[in-house]
Amino acid sequence: MIAPSGLSASPLARLLLVTPKALLVAIFLFAIGTVVVGSVRDNDGNFSLALYDELVRSNTIQILTWRTVKVAGLTTLICALIGYPIAAFIANARRRNLLLVLVISPWLTSVIVRTFGWIVILGNRGLLNNLLRSLGITDGPVRILFTPTGTILGLVHVLAPFMIISILATLVRLDRRLAEAGMSLGAGPFETFLRVTFPLSLPGVLSGCSIVYLLASGAIVTPILLGGLRDAMLGTQIFQEIFALYNFHRASALAMVLLVTSLVVVIPIQWLDGRLRKLSGA
Amino acid sequence: MRRTLWTTLNWTLLLFLPLPLAVVAAVSISPSRFISFPPTGFSLVWYQQFFASPQWMTALGISTGIAIAASLISTTAAVMAALGLERARASTRGIMETLILAPLIFPHAAIGVAIFGFLASTYYLRGTYWGVCLAHVLLCVPFAYRPVAAAFHKLDRSLAEAAMNMGARPTMILQRITLPMVAPGIVSALLFTFIVSFDEITVTLFLTAPGITTLPLTIYSRLEQNADPVVAAVSTLLVLLTLGLVLLLQQTIGLELFVNTEGDDTARSKS
Repeated sequence: MIAPSGLSASPLARLLLVTPKALLVAIFLFAIGTVVVGSVRDNDGNFSLALYDELVRSNTIQILTWRTVKVAGLTTLICALIGYPIAAFIANARRRNLLLVLVISPWLTSVIVRTFGWIVILGNRGLLNNLLRSLGITDGPVRILFTPTGTILGLVHVLAPFMIISILATLVRLDRRLAEAGMSLGAGPFETFLRVTFPLSLPGVLSGCSIVYLLASGAIVTPILLGGLRDAMLGTQIFQEIFALYNFHRASALAMVLLVTSLVVVIPIQWLDGRLRKLSGA
Repeated sequence: MRRTLWTTLNWTLLLFLPLPLAVVAAVSISPSRFISFPPTGFSLVWYQQFFASPQWMTALGISTGIAIAASLISTTAAVMAALGLERARASTRGIMETLILAPLIFPHAAIGVAIFGFLASTYYLRGTYWGVCLAHVLLCVPFAYRPVAAAFHKLDRSLAEAAMNMGARPTMILQRITLPMVAPGIVSALLFTFIVSFDEITVTLFLTAPGITTLPLTIYSRLEQNADPVVAAVSTLLVLLTLGLVLLLQQTIGLELFVNTEGDDTARSKS
């Protein structure tokens, strides 16, 4: 029997072919391992659970974790709320390609560039405040930059394309005849959407949510530049621990908290997503 | 009426995405020495300053070099792995693919600490561009593998069989049938990983050391201090570059690629 590529490699050759990739994966997992090990060591390199003890007791870390979950959760929710209509709009549009350019170009533009755009818009002398002032709505500047609102706004903007594309991917694969069948059986457009289209597109929403939540909870650049350091999140605190406080072990312990809290949210979502995809035969 | 409202709402939401980029472009052509909107005139002085600055040019060169290396290495490894795994048992392949895609389920801040810790423990890679490059390759692994594996998955065994029956040698089959058929997958892997590496900031931030700089890192450090309009000019150039690539893709392979072949999985690339 011949392989689809026509390459008749021996088992040894095939093993060699996989080696570079396997090596890269191994390095990655090894690096993650250093975080796990680093989090159970003290600064002298001895085994110690002191950091975890502190994590459980410390008020600051609980606040930090809770704030991260809240910001990431809200970002995910808003992304889903604005992402779904956009995805549905694009899926049914005639000029789908043009609309895709509007989504994909910002998506592929560096996070740092997009964050900079929001600094210009939200700053005290920025676009938004100038607009509000000239319309006479406010006298003083409205503070959005360096507040959690700024962080969420920036994160929604950076991550919304992930949600849109994820939902769009399920919508375009959807069998149109199902919706037509619903209509011909007497359901109105709204009922058809609610009972046919939406449930079938749920896997896209779920995988969009898991990506957005993951990226939002692990973000550093957007929260630092738009939210500032006062309302730190786990990601920004990890960065501070390493570069301002030079404490790799504490950073590792915080990274473990981040890892566990995001996996606790993301893995069930992905599991549900997988189940739904199997059910709908996608 | 409801239809117009729906369309208006969606266009408003859609234009929210390119809005900050347009604002940056407007700032970049303003002659004012401070970041100001709306622009007070038209001038390309900040672009001149960008191209005349050795610091910016170095950063641009380094980012380009790292991105080219990372995309070539990760894509080559992906093609090799896809070839090596094509006849593997489904369970073996499943395990390998889960491992290859593993970087996608870790938050970036945690990956940053991990790679920081790993590189710090090595003698030769610490504080070097090789280290940064390795980090980018590790991040690119899943994005290179996805499109390549999807292309291999779509290969039709009967084509290779037919060619073999007509006397083609394996190398010829590879050259004339397999490679042309998986080429779009390889091209999108190269392009995608290039962009992932070129734009990468969160993990690279952990690898900053004296003498280490990339274009996004330089932008970041300028933003942390006091952003000058040169940053706006650089940013606009990056936006135009991305827009150019996207339009090129639209004309050639088609943007549906992002939505159809892998959709939600490709989506995990950025940020």
